[in-house]
Amino acid sequence: MNKTVNINLAGIFFHIDEDAYMKLQRYLEAIKHSFTDSEGRSEIISDIEARIAELFNERLKNEKQVVRIKELDEVIAIMGQPEDYLIDDDIFEDEPNQKPKNSVSKKLYRDTENSYISGVSSGLGHYFGIDAIWIRLAWILLIFGAGTGILLYILLWILVPEAKTTAEKIMMIGEPVNISNIEKQIKDGFENVSSTVSGVAKSVSDSVSNAAKNVDLKKQSNKIKSTSKTFFDTLADIVMLLLKVLAKFIGILLIFIGAAMLIALIIGVFSLGAVNIINIPDINFIEMANTGGLPIWLLSLFLFFAVGIPFFFLFYLGLKILITNLKSIGKIAKFSLLGLWIISIIGLSIAGIRQANEHAFNESYTKKVELPITKTDTLHVKMSSKNNRGFNFNRYDNSFKIITNKDGTKMLYTSNIRIMVKSTTDTLASIAIEKSADGNNYDKAMARAIDINYDYELNNNTLLLNPFFTTNAKNKFSGQKTNIILYVPINNVVYFNNSTSSFLNTSSRNDNIVLKSYTNHYLKILDDDIICSDCPEEGNKLNKTENQNLKINNDGLEINANDSSIKINNNGIEIKSDDVEININ
Amino acid sequence: MKIENTKAQMRKGVLEFCILSVLKDDDAYVAEILNTLKAAKLLVVEGTIYPLLTRLKNTGLLNYRWEESTSGPPRKYYSLTETGRLFLKELNTTWSELHNAVTIVTKPKKSNNE
Repeated sequence: MNKTVNINLAGIFFHIDEDAYMKLQRYLEAIKHSFTDSEGRSEIISDIEARIAELFNERLKNEKQVVRIKELDEVIAIMGQPEDYLIDDDIFEDEPNQKPKNSVSKKLYRDTENSYISGVSSGLGHYFGIDAIWIRLAWILLIFGAGTGILLYILLWILVPEAKTTAEKIMMIGEPVNISNIEKQIKDGFENVSSTVSGVAKSVSDSVSNAAKNVDLKKQSNKIKSTSKTFFDTLADIVMLLLKVLAKFIGILLIFIGAAMLIALIIGVFSLGAVNIINIPDINFIEMANTGGLPIWLLSLFLFFAVGIPFFFLFYLGLKILITNLKSIGKIAKFSLLGLWIISIIGLSIAGIRQANEHAFNESYTKKVELPITKTDTLHVKMSSKNNRGFNFNRYDNSFKIITNKDGTKMLYTSNIRIMVKSTTDTLASIAIEKSADGNNYDKAMARAIDINYDYELNNNTLLLNPFFTTNAKNKFSGQKTNIILYVPINNVVYFNNSTSSFLNTSSRNDNIVLKSYTNHYLKILDDDIICSDCPEEGNKLNKTENQNLKINNDGLEINANDSSIKINNNGIEIKSDDVEININ
Repeated sequence: MKIENTKAQMRKGVLEFCILSVLKDDDAYVAEILNTLKAAKLLVVEGTIYPLLTRLKNTGLLNYRWEESTSGPPRKYYSLTETGRLFLKELNTTWSELHNAVTIVTKPKKSNNE
């Protein structure tokens, strides 16, 4: 007993056994795929179907009779195997054997018949002529490599077409990609070029409507293609080979760059995104960045798309160079990616403008307090080591920290502090704390400036300055700065401990009289100047004009300019400027 | 080089010429053309003819019309166009030239020694 199927073949109704139906279907599919050019294919197929219907009709005695495998086999024997239909292209080829070989050149397809997930691995296995198990193992290894494998796999899944038709399956299995085959492919490529050249030449001569010339050119191009190759052809072959190798190399390079960048970006975005969730203590200063109100995740997403999309296209281009039958990602995908990219760029620009806006106003708030010290005593100045929360006495280290107070409020700690010393004619010394911050308007900037907390202590003529200031974390990094200005009466003596060194200025701008290099010396305040009482050169005035001089003595060489200095002595070479300090010992 | 390929190539080369020749006097549908060609043992399987017919039709050498059939699907009756006739004429000349040439070349040696 057999199940039958009803079919309509060229408008005629047939009962056909199920197995015969399956065979007929395969047969017609195979014929369809033996015609590579789609031109006239459907017409040929319908002609063939009509003929098959006719042949069936001859074999069936009445309408109730069923087409069985036997009848089908007879018909196929008359019609011929799918290969017999291939006559079309072969007929006028000079070397008929070469053509079918060339068409079997390998292409990358997904082999869904031998697949675990999507057939990418077995497709790659066919492509490189190795067992798919090795490719699968490589994937597993790559997955451990920061998930690279997953990304690459998904991309290949999307971009590599599935081998659906017989022709594609043949091409997928094809010949292994090795040197001799690559060379052959390149030769084919050259022949294509020469035929297109002759095609162009033909159309040009057509337009001149010079029939004779046309025939000549055709003949010539045929000669180039078929007869033994001339010297120049061989030369062109070599050049083409080099170009193709170069193209493949560029393709690999593009894939590598694109993939590396995408992976780096994905890791970057993931770790940024994770900050918000897991709250890693050392990284959470990122959320302190003043982004002008835009959330960090949105910004990082914008950045990801703005940078990632161009690299994705680079990657895609590279793949396209390497794999010729790559599926297009489609117009919709292309345009939506482009749209996303433009949106990201706009988003980033807005964020940039807002960020800049956040610094539009810089306001400062100054509080001046008198310091009750006796005139005869020396004022010692040093940085406090109390509660310093890991801050060194260095302005440049550990510039920012976020610390949660006992009551749970988050505080921003920074060491952006400068110390200036000015002479005064008052009888009492005084200290002025100048706090400043940025904001997008006056009120905000001022509020942020006032919200800066800075502490110092006066202990028996010793001024202890904190090496940091704090502000509520909600103010974020908004260019907060603290300037400490010490007003010291004339004739008083000050002594700056070494710890203050990095907070002191290197220049004497704004009437500053104590410079970085004057620490650990007793300095007598003059009117807008100081005198060093225990410096190697006794009583040497260290005022501005004398700073700019050149000293050469037993100690070494010293050049002082307004903002910078160079010293060469037993301790080595020391170069200082306002912002940079270089020591070569 | 396989002998089968060369044989097939030779046969296929004259196939177009033969199809046009079959249609020279009378219009015919595929089965009729096939019967003539098969009777002459020019064709082993039928499949080969369909792409050829389509190509000849597409290049304007052939025309066709549909005719209802009492037994089976409607039939395509092919006929030669004017271009087809000219084409056939030229092929005829080429063929007789070729025939001559082949006869001369393949003649027994003594004629070559003249």
